[in-house]
Amino acid sequence: MNEGLYIQGISLLDFARGPALRWAVVVFVIGVVWRLGAMLLYTRRDLSRPNAASAPGGVKALLTRSAPPHELEKDIMFQHYSGYAWHISMFLVLLLFAPHMLFFKGILGFGWPTLPNLFITIFTVLTMVLLLILMVRRVTNPVLRQISTTDDYVSWFAAFLPFLTGVMSYTHITFGLRYEDMLALHFLSICFLLVWFPFSKLMHAIYIWPSRYKVGAAFARRGVRA
Amino acid sequence: MAASKTVGDVLRARGVSRRGFMKFCAATASLMALPPGMVNAVAAALEKARRPSVLWLPFQECTGCTESLTRSHSPTVEGLIFDAISLDYHHTLQAAAGHQAEAALHAAMEENYGNYLLLVDGSIPSKDKAFYSCTAGVSHYDMLVEAAKGAAALVAIGTCAAYGGLPRANPNPTGAVGVQDIIKDKPIINVSGCPPIPVVITGVLAHYLTFGTIPELDKYGRPMAFFGQNIHDRCYRRPFYDRGEFAETFDDEGAKKGYCLYKLGCKGPTTYNACATAKWNSGVSFPVQSGHGCIGCSEPDFWDKGSFYRPLSAGYWGDAKTVGIAGAAGAAIGLAAAAAARSRQKKAQKEEQA
Amino acid sequence: MSATMESVPDFGALGERAASSLQPESLTDAQRVARARQAFIAGIDADMATYLESCIHCGMCAEACHFYIATKESKYTPIYKIEPLKKVYRRELSPLRWLYRLTTRDVTAAELEEWQELAYDSCTQCGRCSLLCPMGIHIQSMIQVVRNGLAAAGFAPAELQAVSVEQRDHGTVFGAGPDQLLTVIEQVRAKGVEVPLDKPKAEVLVLSSALDFLRDASVLEATARIMNHVGADWTVRSNGFESANFGALTGDKRAQAKISRRIIDAAVACGAKTIIVDECGHAYPVLRWEAATLYGKELPFEVLAVSEFLAQEAKAGRLKLRKKANGIPVTFHDPCKLGRMGGSLQDARAVLAALGLPVKEMESHGRTNLCCGGGGGVMMLSRAKGLRQKAFELKREEVERTGAATVVTACNTCMQNLELGKEWLNWDKDIVNLVQLVSENLA
Repeated sequence: MNEGLYIQGISLLDFARGPALRWAVVVFVIGVVWRLGAMLLYTRRDLSRPNAASAPGGVKALLTRSAPPHELEKDIMFQHYSGYAWHISMFLVLLLFAPHMLFFKGILGFGWPTLPNLFITIFTVLTMVLLLILMVRRVTNPVLRQISTTDDYVSWFAAFLPFLTGVMSYTHITFGLRYEDMLALHFLSICFLLVWFPFSKLMHAIYIWPSRYKVGAAFARRGVRA
Repeated sequence: MAASKTVGDVLRARGVSRRGFMKFCAATASLMALPPGMVNAVAAALEKARRPSVLWLPFQECTGCTESLTRSHSPTVEGLIFDAISLDYHHTLQAAAGHQAEAALHAAMEENYGNYLLLVDGSIPSKDKAFYSCTAGVSHYDMLVEAAKGAAALVAIGTCAAYGGLPRANPNPTGAVGVQDIIKDKPIINVSGCPPIPVVITGVLAHYLTFGTIPELDKYGRPMAFFGQNIHDRCYRRPFYDRGEFAETFDDEGAKKGYCLYKLGCKGPTTYNACATAKWNSGVSFPVQSGHGCIGCSEPDFWDKGSFYRPLSAGYWGDAKTVGIAGAAGAAIGLAAAAAARSRQKKAQKEEQA
Repeated sequence: MSATMESVPDFGALGERAASSLQPESLTDAQRVARARQAFIAGIDADMATYLESCIHCGMCAEACHFYIATKESKYTPIYKIEPLKKVYRRELSPLRWLYRLTTRDVTAAELEEWQELAYDSCTQCGRCSLLCPMGIHIQSMIQVVRNGLAAAGFAPAELQAVSVEQRDHGTVFGAGPDQLLTVIEQVRAKGVEVPLDKPKAEVLVLSSALDFLRDASVLEATARIMNHVGADWTVRSNGFESANFGALTGDKRAQAKISRRIIDAAVACGAKTIIVDECGHAYPVLRWEAATLYGKELPFEVLAVSEFLAQEAKAGRLKLRKKANGIPVTFHDPCKLGRMGGSLQDARAVLAALGLPVKEMESHGRTNLCCGGGGGVMMLSRAKGLRQKAFELKREEVERTGAATVVTACNTCMQNLELGKEWLNWDKDIVNLVQLVSENLA
């Protein structure tokens, strides 16, 4: 576990990208695998004669669910598109910023081409603006007020803080904090995200796939495209 | 042997012209980020400055710091400054050796008690392991404590003296520490670097000679004038970082074109030193310019921050084995939870049928 | 185009009358909660667990629900309708239940009672929400489990409960048993249409429903004409004719199974290879998609909706239709339980094409159709009338935008609800049942 980094006089940055990150990853992995056990509850055996094979419908739904028929969502287009926009923007920043790519390269063993920093800055700002707009929506829209829980708000912070601390580090706008400490806060915000992930709605990043598959398969079995 | 000559006397004796002297004062003032109006004050002060007694104690070191400071292809005014001070004790530079040299040291300490400047390079093994590093049968730990008593100020030259440096790297068999870990009651200026840049040390001395005070220090005790900015912010290759153009290996096209070395482990963003501006060898080059990433040698514990070639953003997330064990643990708990839930379901379903 | 029919019976009044004779079980709050909890625990399978772990509270499902769109009441958000189920899942079955016990409050009897409106009045189980959810949550599949829990706790609406008890114990709906069936059949026979009743052996078993012939004999007559025209070896069985399943509508699993079993037994008894569900609506999916699992083995016969049968026979050439030379466009209202939840989307359209009737589709058609607002037992609840009227506005608007003068549908509940809508709005549209359209144009 300690390979590569030995800390005598530990600084906040050393702690954040060392032990803190390691334990966060451990908690993340344990939590995610544990929570996936929900898929092991009893399986209903459907004895009715199917109209069609279910698996192809399940696979199709993995992607087509992102583009539902227009008539189903006439008044919700803003939420729909800004939801996808901030996710896409987030992934661009997460994966195509050179230092981030190098972080993943250290884990995966391979890297990939990245974007110039100017684009990353643009997408970072876009992500943060969209997140703020969506949070305003969550606290003002009646439907969202009806169904929102604490989880929704904490998860929003878990997603927002890495961007905030990242952009503050990158621009050195740190309100008196040392750059290294700001960078440490950036790492710590990721540690928080990792630890919060399995126990919150952030787990949807993983559950979306079996869930879409299952609904696609259920409808396909009856001969309907989900 | 302290003489009563002033710095000005010495420089004139060496044939340094007034113009040459003023040039040096301007350069020094600029280096210390002093306004142009201060140049005359610097000149006047240096002119009249009494040659202070300076003792240089080398401890658990490699002599690299001395080598750095004395590197000059041609006599420079920095070199002359060194002549201007009364360097009363320096292993490498002095001619004397053995008991005579030690006697000279103690004589100088007595004569200038309370006023001499104590320069230290090399780390110091801590008290319980003091035997690891000795001179003339005296441990360096004891030497330091003794010598610090009569010092007006201490300057820890090099990362070893400032923070422990290489000897302190894991597993630190000699229990090496820096000067500030032992001496708590005297002003200490840390001039870190492995080694430090020559002009940085002379700038610090010039400040002390001019004002008789310690310059403004950062959180790690280093003069802000030289250690206040990180390499990344002053690096001439910064545009390539911003454009996303990196060298991927040490001899690829990117490396040949002088692209940013972030991917090859450059620690510029978190390293504070004057390398990118003052550079080395009288401004000829510095590691990045020569094609190797900054290794962060002026920062505490830089030997223990992981590989020099590992990018700064790569975290220490653990290893595949740990993740595998965590996954297995999660699976075990998950399966147990699912099994328990399923048996509850079976029971409820049986009741339903009944 | 439609034959004259009696007006739609007031099912709400019928339901109220039935409810007045109901002896509700007296249960303590704790008992109610315990029963609901057990029903939820028994009913949540691995798929539902996956769905319940996936909700991100985005609220998009509201936009697909006709009850929400018509009223803008946030309590009608589909995922909110299954909130009690979510709570019990989190506290009792989820892998993280030990954590959720600390953060999720338990259901209460008051809450369950509050949810009656959400699970019954404002949900027709139409499934439109299941098509929109970006996480792929099949909300519709879980509403039935909510009804199971509410019914077990004694919180199903009295109207539905009463008829479910009657049907479970006596096999009748609103008192309509074999005698009333015979009366209606005699009416059809009086028009010169043969209706085989209780043939000992037949290939095709045709179902009907009190919900249909309580009105009049026209649908049964149209069906009989068609069956005879195609030369099917068919029968109606007096001990297994009722396709409606009030056990399913109420959420009483045992009643649902028992009621379905009667039909299965009737089919087995006469060796039928095909069952035709004439009263469509919930009857179709309950038999086609749910009965086998409750029965415990595969059904020994095929289950077809009438529209499926018609399309099949037209394709095979046994159903010969008169094509309209100048076919005026009609619009087709897809019954939710047949189309989106049933799988029969093209059959009715194929038949309309065979009739030479061009279809001007509504904006929401086929699998995205808007529910008429009458299914799932809602028509039985008088108190929900206002809600249904508001929801119907959406249907009206879509129909009018097509410019068609006639709305064809293939489900009796839809047809009756559309006709009620026509009354409410003083609408000038013709509402036509596919079966009647076909029977009037047999070649």
